[in-house]
Amino acid sequence: MKKIALFVVLATLLTMLALPAVAQDAGLPDFIQHTECQVDLTGQTIPIYHLGDLSGSYAFITQPLIAGLGDAIKFFNEHGGVCGATLKSDVGTEYRDTGGKREEAQAAYDNFSSLNPKPDLMVLYASADAELLRSQVAEDEIPVIISAGSVAGLYGEDAQSPGWIYATNPLYADQLGSFCNFVADNPERFPNPTIGYISWPGAFGEAAYTPETISYCASKGVTILDTPEYFLPTATDISTNVLNLVDAGANILYTNSLASGPFLIAKTIVDLGLQNEVQLAGVNWALDTSVGLLSRTAINPDNGLPAVNGLIGSLPFYWWTERQQPGIAFINQQAEANQRTLSSRNIAYLLGWSIVDMYIEIYTQTVNRVGSLEAVTGADIKQTIESMKYSPLGLFNFDYQGGAIRALPDNRIAQMAFLNKAQNGPATSGDDALTVDLPDGTKAFVPLLIPLTPFSPAPDLRPGGADVP
Amino acid sequence: MTTFLETNRRSLTRAAYAVLAILVLLWLGPLILEQRPARLIGSTITGLLVGGIYSLIALGIVVINKASGVFNFAHGWMMLLGGLLFYSFFASGSVSPLAAGVLAALTVIMVITTAGWGALRSPRSLALGAVAIVVLTVLLSLSGAEWQFIRAIAGAVAGSVLVGLVVERFTIRPLIGQPLFAMVLMTLAISRALNGITQLIWGSVEIPLQVFSWVGNLGLPMPIRFDARDTLGGIILIRTELLFAFALALVAFVAFVLFFQFTNVGLAMRAAAEDQRLAQSVGLRVRIILAVAWAIAALLATAAGVLQGGATSLSLNMPLLALLAFPAVLLGGLESITGALVGGIVIGLVQEWANLLFPGTQAGTELAPYVVLMAVLVIRPDGLFGQKRIERV
Repeated sequence: MKKIALFVVLATLLTMLALPAVAQDAGLPDFIQHTECQVDLTGQTIPIYHLGDLSGSYAFITQPLIAGLGDAIKFFNEHGGVCGATLKSDVGTEYRDTGGKREEAQAAYDNFSSLNPKPDLMVLYASADAELLRSQVAEDEIPVIISAGSVAGLYGEDAQSPGWIYATNPLYADQLGSFCNFVADNPERFPNPTIGYISWPGAFGEAAYTPETISYCASKGVTILDTPEYFLPTATDISTNVLNLVDAGANILYTNSLASGPFLIAKTIVDLGLQNEVQLAGVNWALDTSVGLLSRTAINPDNGLPAVNGLIGSLPFYWWTERQQPGIAFINQQAEANQRTLSSRNIAYLLGWSIVDMYIEIYTQTVNRVGSLEAVTGADIKQTIESMKYSPLGLFNFDYQGGAIRALPDNRIAQMAFLNKAQNGPATSGDDALTVDLPDGTKAFVPLLIPLTPFSPAPDLRPGGADVP
Repeated sequence: MTTFLETNRRSLTRAAYAVLAILVLLWLGPLILEQRPARLIGSTITGLLVGGIYSLIALGIVVINKASGVFNFAHGWMMLLGGLLFYSFFASGSVSPLAAGVLAALTVIMVITTAGWGALRSPRSLALGAVAIVVLTVLLSLSGAEWQFIRAIAGAVAGSVLVGLVVERFTIRPLIGQPLFAMVLMTLAISRALNGITQLIWGSVEIPLQVFSWVGNLGLPMPIRFDARDTLGGIILIRTELLFAFALALVAFVAFVLFFQFTNVGLAMRAAAEDQRLAQSVGLRVRIILAVAWAIAALLATAAGVLQGGATSLSLNMPLLALLAFPAVLLGGLESITGALVGGIVIGLVQEWANLLFPGTQAGTELAPYVVLMAVLVIRPDGLFGQKRIERV
């Protein structure tokens, strides 16, 4: 009897000790495996501070990010939060709209960094903001997570000074290098590859056009023209810019723009009748849902499909259509449950979910190490980021190799297509495509992405990087 | 020597300008001769057509300036708002009669009370207003895709007139007689308010406006393309939607020239712009003049917004396009209708030519329009067609 009583007491004690760890993951899908909590944070709050463009050129993709963050925070809070602590990111308090303006970004950062306690982790969105705030976040010791970034934003003007900003995608320059690898590996498809770089002006638009990328691509037999063309997001007609590049010999146009940027280039290529002579390619953002949806107003007469059909770009994470991946299947379910529209189901929505999952893991590991949430500092978070290996929702691998890098290297190349009527693959023509009737009497085509290569490390094309010729 | 310089200053200045012009031509000449004819023709056509959009935007800014002397910084946001209003009526299969009625009623009330709220006590005004509300409500409530253009045009006209009149009545009118600078600052405040309103109602999502799909349905080419690679060495592209914008800019230009030259309201607007107090003292109804000007400017902004939205899309970037029309306005002359047209076209041409002649430099997008603007303002401080003003210091 005594043995039984002792067993019951021990079992009860063990259950009580294990309860906080179990509580965090209560009801979470099996594929989400956070580190077990050693400290109960119930009743505390972890804000996700974030500044970005909600009303300017990038607004098209920022809105779904807010939706993704909101849905993910709601879900994870309902399932134990961070060791019992509640995550929070409300627009206006934890989230500040910059309108894409430097002065607004600075003001938002000043506001966040002057809080008491100041943030010990933040999320940024724009390369220009990363470049602006790079030295300030280092001085304030606030680590930052950004989706992708420029060399200057992550490694400084000398490209040799890793800062406090960590990108979850490969550098834009590395993405272009990755694309050059793909082109070089497919000589039958690209027999005499010459890339014309066409983009928006500014830190983001110009980030991939670097001397290192040009020389790397040249070493692979891919020429990048030395006359990049830039157009404003307000541009009405860019046929002169496109023809400048085509006349200079470009048979591939590469863009580091998003939303209306790739759309306008694709429309111009089709309008000029060059769709069979020029391949459009771009950064990961160019493959976004927004580009596919906007493009319904520019139809390729050859096949009746939107002009961006066939656009090639980087896809450094899993995509909505890869439902065999548990994280993607789960996010699809959540988007359905939250009645998210087609335009919301984009890159930024996926990013929103992965950011929240990363936050939980980063804070759990950090609190476990330092003992309490109050004791956590930016330096502690930085230490965690540089030491942890994690795959948020299985979408990509979070591993900064002991602090050696500031941008995750894994990348793959994919192609934009549109869903067929049978909903089992890409459409081959407008007649074969699945379309959704819209109230204005027009039709929306459903975009999908087809991976063309498996994941592999993108070349390291920082100045002085390992792969620079 | 000093006497020689003093007495021949004007001639020497002109000679210096001439030498400068020759140097510029010598610099650009070889670059132009290098180009294939198709590229020169193509870029010129594109510049002209894009310039048409700038002209249309500039016209709206000039109308306000001509009537009130105010430089309207909210014009870009009025463009976007007008485009979104058009889209809402265009893309909706049907509009609720209640919503249509409210919009119609508000617009008509604002129109009949332009001279003052006292008009609401006049049986004749009320009767006319009631008829107008019914007609407008019917137009706005027409359901079905076959009516979408009429519904959208009616909705955009009603909405933009309402916006123009509301802005004038509640923000500009109280400032009549105050320093112009106060009104200019008010337009900046209006731009921020319109920014918030558009995002509150339509969000920040980029919206494709398929307003030109009917052109394709009519069998007209979209765009017009000449493949002249064998003869002129290239492809010449003419965007049909920009052709419409250009034609509309020309029509608006002719209409406004006639309006300001030959109508009483037009002449009164010019008088009010010279001196609002003086105009009031001679019996001109400045309030009505300002209201008409703002309503017209809002309509012009809507036209430009719809055309630009159809050519690209409706997005929060659109108001930035008005920034490119500012140099057009200054180049042409702040209060000149002709100047707005010519200024817009010149800016469009300069942009495209700079893109063509200096590839890979961003000269067309960032530099050339402003260099030309500076050059013109140095030579003609009042713009190409602006009125020369001599103020006693």
